Amino acid sequence: MATIIEAKNLSKRYGSFVALDDVSFSVQPGRIVGLIGRNGAGKTTALKTILGLTTYQGSVQVLGIEPARDRNALMSQVCFIADAAVLPRWLSVAHAIDYVAGVHPRFDRKRAEQVLATTDIRRGSRIGQLSKGMITQLHLALILAINARLLVLDEPTLGLDLVYRRQFYDTLLNDYIDKERTILLTTHQVEEVENLLTDVLFIDKGRVVLDAAVDDLPARFQQLTVAPDRIEEARALNPFYVRELFGRTIMLYQDLPAESLAGLGELRTPGIADLFVAKMQVTNPQASNSQVVAP
Amino acid sequence: MKALLTQIRREFWEHRALWIVPLAIAAVMLLAAAIFGRIQLNFGDPGIHYDAPTPPPLAELLVLGWALPFYLAAAVQGTGYLIDCLYGERRDRSILFWRSMPVSDASTVLTKLLTGLVLVPLGAFVIAAATSLAGSAILVLRNHDVVLNGQHVMALWNLLSWLRMQGIVFYGLIAALLWYAPFAAYLMLASVWARRSPYIWALAPPLLLLILEHMIFGTNYVGRILGGGFHELLHLAYRLDGDGAPTTGGGHDISFTMHLLSPERLLASLRLWVGLLAAALMVALAIRVRRYRDES
Repeated sequence: MATIIEAKNLSKRYGSFVALDDVSFSVQPGRIVGLIGRNGAGKTTALKTILGLTTYQGSVQVLGIEPARDRNALMSQVCFIADAAVLPRWLSVAHAIDYVAGVHPRFDRKRAEQVLATTDIRRGSRIGQLSKGMITQLHLALILAINARLLVLDEPTLGLDLVYRRQFYDTLLNDYIDKERTILLTTHQVEEVENLLTDVLFIDKGRVVLDAAVDDLPARFQQLTVAPDRIEEARALNPFYVRELFGRTIMLYQDLPAESLAGLGELRTPGIADLFVAKMQVTNPQASNSQVVAP
Repeated sequence: MKALLTQIRREFWEHRALWIVPLAIAAVMLLAAAIFGRIQLNFGDPGIHYDAPTPPPLAELLVLGWALPFYLAAAVQGTGYLIDCLYGERRDRSILFWRSMPVSDASTVLTKLLTGLVLVPLGAFVIAAATSLAGSAILVLRNHDVVLNGQHVMALWNLLSWLRMQGIVFYGLIAALLWYAPFAAYLMLASVWARRSPYIWALAPPLLLLILEHMIFGTNYVGRILGGGFHELLHLAYRLDGDGAPTTGGGHDISFTMHLLSPERLLASLRLWVGLLAAALMVALAIRVRRYRDES
């Protein structure tokens, strides 16, 4: 199958603010890509260019379509949830299903009913009467029933409680296993999607800071909990991030063979959340209470 | 086709008043006909004759009178709907949901134009016609024993004249749709443009133009274009004499016939075509604004 998303030299400015700065990346079919960044890093802008919701410099191809040119064709194959609150409050649940069934050629009404049957959402309710968690459940039920090739989720669980968040990702994952589809999602609750992702794309200040497959992380990154007497030796090997916690020193290394760190302490692959925090503090040293060593 | 119907249904789900209000008016009118519909003959002997060659076109006038509340409501509701339709989706932030569906901006804007400009008045026409039929039936039943001009009241009801009257009104409706298309397109443009208070965006520019023109040139062309519309439309679409009464070829009596219609005069009107062109441009602009507006 062909590449799902191909972005080349993508830039976007809002006045003097640079939201995207010469960003290039690609997403392959069947991957679950986490677009991870801090608030205002450019995640939403990147998604908006992919969905044809904004103008930009550079080039983007989504499923071979240029989003800004042919949104209509794109939207029959791409689904997105931009925010939990966007379903109109005046619409009833039954009408919401009728509407999507009426306008979307790839919508499977039975599938939506199945997902809804697992929730407490009543057909006759207006969306305004539902809780935020239920609205998100409904939105997800509608979106998952669409046989889309690409699913884009922008902070889909923002403002939901833990139970709803867990349910959301469980439903998403179960459905993902059923069908081969590509998912691009943004969140800043990295811990919750860590086990879900196949690829990570860290973005900061409009630039891509890390673009890697999760499977490649063990070969590329090492997290060393340094033995107290080996700190100087460990430091000499140029960690890109050092953190001191409860009297222990943790160092992160990039592109360094694990063997060269052997014996200096406890070695493991950093989690995505740890890696993200480390990467962000490398690029934003002022926000850090840890020592950062320039790479 | 299925998608278009769904989009239209969606408009009536959101703006429920568009179908509730005309039905409520119909219910009130039929109720009133049932309660107060008894003709009181207080002018002398019950069997009185007055000098008229034919019965007055009672049914025709009834149709006009009965339809009026529906058209007034449709005008007010259609206007309100068009001002709100492209603003409401941004106010409640549902626009990203609508735009996540494979429905183009052109299709959305045109569906809303169709709803506000055509379907709402058309609905008023259908409900008004049905109400006038039901109302006539109620009136005839309530007055089944009344004799007027030596004729039974039933004889005043004439299906053919009712149908003819519907035709004359329907023609007027189509003429008005074409005539007011630029007005509708302008309201949509205000609706899609406004970041807040679309009513101000709809009202302020023409008012400002009116005031500026008066202050600078002392003339009132804008006012005439905005205000003189309905009178001009009536006189273009129908053959009316000076005081607005319908005329036949050479006679003086009131008569509602197809001779009243003058579509050739309406279609020859420059103002109609300039208006339609302006409407097309404003709708195209509204589509563009919805398409390229960046919501952040």
